[in-house]
Amino acid sequence: MLYREALNRAIDEAMAADESVVILGEDVGRYGGSYRVSEGLFAKYGAKRVIDTPIAELSIVGNAIGMAIGGLRPIAEIMTVNFSLLAMDQIVNHAAKFRYMSGGKMTIPLTVRMPGGVSRQLAAQHSESYETLYASIPGLIVLAASNATYAYHALKHAIFLNDPVIFLEHELLYPMEMEFEEKANFDPFKAEVVKEGDDLTILTYLKMRYDVLEAVPTIEKELGISVEVIDLNSLRPLDMKTISNSIKKTKRVVLVEEDHKTGGYGAEVIARITEELFYELDAPPLRIAGEDVPIPYNRTLELASIPTPDKIAAQIKLWGQNHGL
Amino acid sequence: MDYKIVMPVLSDTMDKGKLIKWHVHEGDTVHKGDVIAEVESDKAIMEVQTFKDGVVKKLLVKEGDEVPVKEPIAILDTETKPQAPTKKEQAKEEPSKEESKVVQKSEIPSILQELMPTSAPPVEGYASPAAKKAAAKANIDIETLQKEGVLPKPAHLKDISEELLKRYFTPKALHLLKEYGIEANSFTLDHKIDEEEVQDFIMKNNIPKPFPLSSNRKAVIKNVEESAKKPTYLVMETFDIKPYKNVKLTSILIKTIADVMQRHPLTRAILEGDRYLIYPSSNISVAVAKGDDLFMVVCKDAQQKSLEAIDEWVRNLKNRDYSAEELSGSTFGISNLGMFGIKRFSAMINKKDSGIAAFGTLYDGKIDVTFTFDHRILNGVDAAKFVSDLKNSFKGNG
Repeated sequence: MLYREALNRAIDEAMAADESVVILGEDVGRYGGSYRVSEGLFAKYGAKRVIDTPIAELSIVGNAIGMAIGGLRPIAEIMTVNFSLLAMDQIVNHAAKFRYMSGGKMTIPLTVRMPGGVSRQLAAQHSESYETLYASIPGLIVLAASNATYAYHALKHAIFLNDPVIFLEHELLYPMEMEFEEKANFDPFKAEVVKEGDDLTILTYLKMRYDVLEAVPTIEKELGISVEVIDLNSLRPLDMKTISNSIKKTKRVVLVEEDHKTGGYGAEVIARITEELFYELDAPPLRIAGEDVPIPYNRTLELASIPTPDKIAAQIKLWGQNHGL
Repeated sequence: MDYKIVMPVLSDTMDKGKLIKWHVHEGDTVHKGDVIAEVESDKAIMEVQTFKDGVVKKLLVKEGDEVPVKEPIAILDTETKPQAPTKKEQAKEEPSKEESKVVQKSEIPSILQELMPTSAPPVEGYASPAAKKAAAKANIDIETLQKEGVLPKPAHLKDISEELLKRYFTPKALHLLKEYGIEANSFTLDHKIDEEEVQDFIMKNNIPKPFPLSSNRKAVIKNVEESAKKPTYLVMETFDIKPYKNVKLTSILIKTIADVMQRHPLTRAILEGDRYLIYPSSNISVAVAKGDDLFMVVCKDAQQKSLEAIDEWVRNLKNRDYSAEELSGSTFGISNLGMFGIKRFSAMINKKDSGIAAFGTLYDGKIDVTFTFDHRILNGVDAAKFVSDLKNSFKGNG
């Protein structure tokens, strides 16, 4: 199943199951969505539930919050995470806070879907990873879908949650063919142990999951170790239990993210690990992240600014050699 | 005013509790909510907190004592102004002269010490947290060992584990552990374990010694497994052979077989897809044991070579290495165990060869030979003609 098909199926089934589920955003209706995620929904559910909006992110989220207050379950689509900065006030000051400020009387069952990360030569204004911004806001749930199975189950879960969810996708994943698994009792807040191993835990999420998996055979061969790979899935809340179980076993941790290193989401994860698992660590944690630059347009420079399988393998090898692996 | 802290009722079924550990001493200042003791009920070990601020006036029970519930275990003076800061406050405030000794002794603030996972003294030295934790547990002084050059800088968990092993195992015992792949924690680590103890353990538990396969051994296994898949049959015959003086028997066998192969094209054939490839030369693979290794070295164009040339080739066989070229290209093989007094045996066909002849020992001018043929290449009649021709040729040799 294609990644975007999994998302489409989740929205379709949610809309079929509950009339209060609506979707709104730029081109989500007649056009079928910039990334074809809402394809076919307009014909099926009509203009009242699949709503094309003007290019005005603040109003998309603002309206969605209004709908949520009014009893609907809106799914707001923002074309890229970069543009969501325009809606930041609505997301941070309103969606995230209403339940708290109303003493629980007002819930915001809102899902804001948006892709982020570096695609191919979309330049700095279309290539950011802002998970760290949203994951630092109390009142928000932040999920990052790297695969079709999680995308489907977690999005459905998000739509029916009574709290605002920032649902992060990745532009390069939409056309990817992926294995899909039906799962009963799915927990969107649980990290996934993608590959088991004994000597090193690599934490990652979104597209970097695939780059890490590509680098793992080289790392295992060159360092003569076995690597455990964990996809975090849920960025807020963070599944520290799965992380902790793994690090207690492997004693070493590397976090790979596409976000910039300074203040990136990985900084938070590593801080939590250092805080809670310091005495378990047999090596300083390593963060492999994007460079601290706006993402360049030039393809060579673009790739130079983010982790790639080669760079991940090389950095981990060097780090391993320096720290007793 | 005196305030009595009593043994708490921690469960419905609890009628007495055991005081496991005091967290305060007489004279300590405590604040509401501070944990003052650990108590074991009938279900679990739980912490006892104080509900009032004050100074511990008297501890009424000793660690290990069992006390009925609601009986007093300590007396708190709630009126005396706290003299000394509480443990938590100590960390924040500048230590007084008296206290500075204590702080210096432990060298890290007591609050940090409380956070340390073990009660062992803090471990100095340049090492990972996990290594320090393990070292503290095992009483290993990282700093000293690093000064002595025993431990690397930084030290990691595996270095501590190795150091630990060195303490409890003699070098020979350690060597045995590694050789047999035995986990160190299979032993009780409270004394120095020597080679003999490990040997006893190995015998008692019948632990096998892993013996990695050499590349030659792997190649032989692959070859014989392939060979075993072939549809083969055996032909047994006894040849009359008179050996020449100063010529190795194997050389005579190679030369004679090579000549006879020229009259039997299928012995020079290999099967490839749906056709035979029949080679003009008599290329014979000869089984050569070199140490633990087994090679099938190919004597090429043996039909063209003189007996003397072949004999020289045979004599040099064991004293040299073989090129890949020399180990391929055969269509028939021979194996000879006669020198070990073996009377009769059968051999596995080498690679794509059409067959192999296994020669036993020479007795009364006779040798028992067992041929293994690949039925896909030679039928029984083809084989019979070849063997019979060979038998006559050996007779003619004499």
